[in-house]
Amino acid sequence: MIPRGVRYALSGISWPLYALLYTPLALVAYYSFAPAPNEAGHSLHAYNLLLHDGDVFSALRRSLILAIGSAITSTALGTLLGYGLCRFRTPNAKGVLAHIPSLIIYTPIIMPSLVFGISELIFFNLVHNATGMLGAGLETMIIAHITFQVPYVALTVYARLAGLDRYLFDAANDLYANGLKSFLYLIIPLVQPAIIGGFMLGITLSIDDFTISFFTSGPGSVTLPIYIYGAIARKGISPEINAIGTLMIGTIILLALIHFFITRHRDRAGQFAARGSIS
Amino acid sequence: MSGALKTEQEIEAGRQRLRLWVTSGPGLVWIMLFLLIPSAVLLGIAFFSSDDYGAPVLPLSVQPFQQVAGYSLLGWDPGNITIFLRSLGQAGTATLVSAALSYPLVFFILSQREDLRPLLLLFIVLPSWTNQVVRTYAWLELLGPNAPVSWAAHLLHAVPPDLGLAPGSFAVTTGLAYNYLPYMIVPLYASAEKLDWTLVEAGRDLYASGLRLFWHAVFPQTLPGLLSGVIFVAIPAFGDYVVPQLLGGDKALMIGSLIANQFTETPDWPYGAALTIIMLVFTGMGLVGFRILTRKLGGAEEVTI
Repeated sequence: MIPRGVRYALSGISWPLYALLYTPLALVAYYSFAPAPNEAGHSLHAYNLLLHDGDVFSALRRSLILAIGSAITSTALGTLLGYGLCRFRTPNAKGVLAHIPSLIIYTPIIMPSLVFGISELIFFNLVHNATGMLGAGLETMIIAHITFQVPYVALTVYARLAGLDRYLFDAANDLYANGLKSFLYLIIPLVQPAIIGGFMLGITLSIDDFTISFFTSGPGSVTLPIYIYGAIARKGISPEINAIGTLMIGTIILLALIHFFITRHRDRAGQFAARGSIS
Repeated sequence: MSGALKTEQEIEAGRQRLRLWVTSGPGLVWIMLFLLIPSAVLLGIAFFSSDDYGAPVLPLSVQPFQQVAGYSLLGWDPGNITIFLRSLGQAGTATLVSAALSYPLVFFILSQREDLRPLLLLFIVLPSWTNQVVRTYAWLELLGPNAPVSWAAHLLHAVPPDLGLAPGSFAVTTGLAYNYLPYMIVPLYASAEKLDWTLVEAGRDLYASGLRLFWHAVFPQTLPGLLSGVIFVAIPAFGDYVVPQLLGGDKALMIGSLIANQFTETPDWPYGAALTIIMLVFTGMGLVGFRILTRKLGGAEEVTI
């Protein structure tokens, strides 16, 4: 399809680009082994400092609570949402009302994260002043993270359900499964990959986010990205910051690769099984 | 027949509505409560006056919008217009750069063995899964003062000594393109993957040159993906906060930082809210414009709920 000469040219451009994509990340790792800022040499000094840094550990703990807590909640809300919209919406409904759920779902996706974050900042601030509840902190961060994850989970689950054979639901009805039963024993197992995928997506979105976290956090809820941002703003990049960065980059790359190879293995096994059952 | 008795169909329709509410209600209410209402409040604040602490107070006023346009007690100042134009320029350049890089990358991946392609795609998307602060400040290591690239730029007399390429607008463009490259690659790859190569073969049989083949047989087919990519890159790049904060410095202030300042450093909520409205209007116009363009050009099918 693509002539050989063009192929070589594409490789010649692309491999350096791949290298460029990872150069900044590799430099973060490289400088994390410096003994002090702008000093040559290698040492594990920065990592040693990290091990004894209570602030970093509490920031890590908050980041994990934030990611896992918000992803669990948004997976529950999003799965129900995607399921409901796929199964119980009047088909081919016309009019403004019929579009409202879609509009609501797409708003968090389209809205620039800065506007998202500032809206939440003001809202939580007003609610706190009026009622004393929802002061800026980990709680408000979790609420905000749930809000931006729900649509992605809902879309993932919806896409999976929409791809299923609709006679499966009719079959469950014919076998007298009630709504709850068919949800528990038919829907959940069928959309399980989408639910897990939605959960992983939620975690990824939560770990990736800075802007929304920044505007919804309080003085007592510094997470790792906010810690890094604050440290750079105050005193620039240090080997210790690079060490945290390196660990964050390394963890994500490792998890992504593990997830990639597991799902690929499973897909292949699935294809194999499907082929076996047909023949 | 009117009154108490409902037909079976009506009862069933009622049940269906109840099921819809029980399942999708919580999620929808959550988003309305924690995003739609807050953003409505934010937009509403733009029409208030501000007190000495920058908090919104009555009476209602259009002063925040006058401030956006550059009018203050001191007269007219083009600062905000410069910032708006700079943000548009940065978003535009970053979009162009990522599109220019995406074409070779996408066709490189397509030229590889089929089982390698997902892995090659993964390695492009992977950096964007790390935290935005980390992957953005990482460029300071490459472009900051004393960094290798800055030495080279200094040797070429592109920058004065002791000043790196970051902070500055070059670093902001680079950072934005790096952050949002996957948003261009993924839709472009999706449309290039479905490319009808028989058109290319036909062109080749008619002795079209490589460039003409690309322009007339390949490019139009990838246009839907390119246009989605443009939206996915340009819109978040326009309002980005982290990249200009970390890589921009004072001279490369963008709309995102300007808005954020009104809620953090020097609070003036109504002014910040008015700026937000203007930014959203720009974003919305871009979105609608590209949607119309995409539809006219045949349009990419989208997964819609």
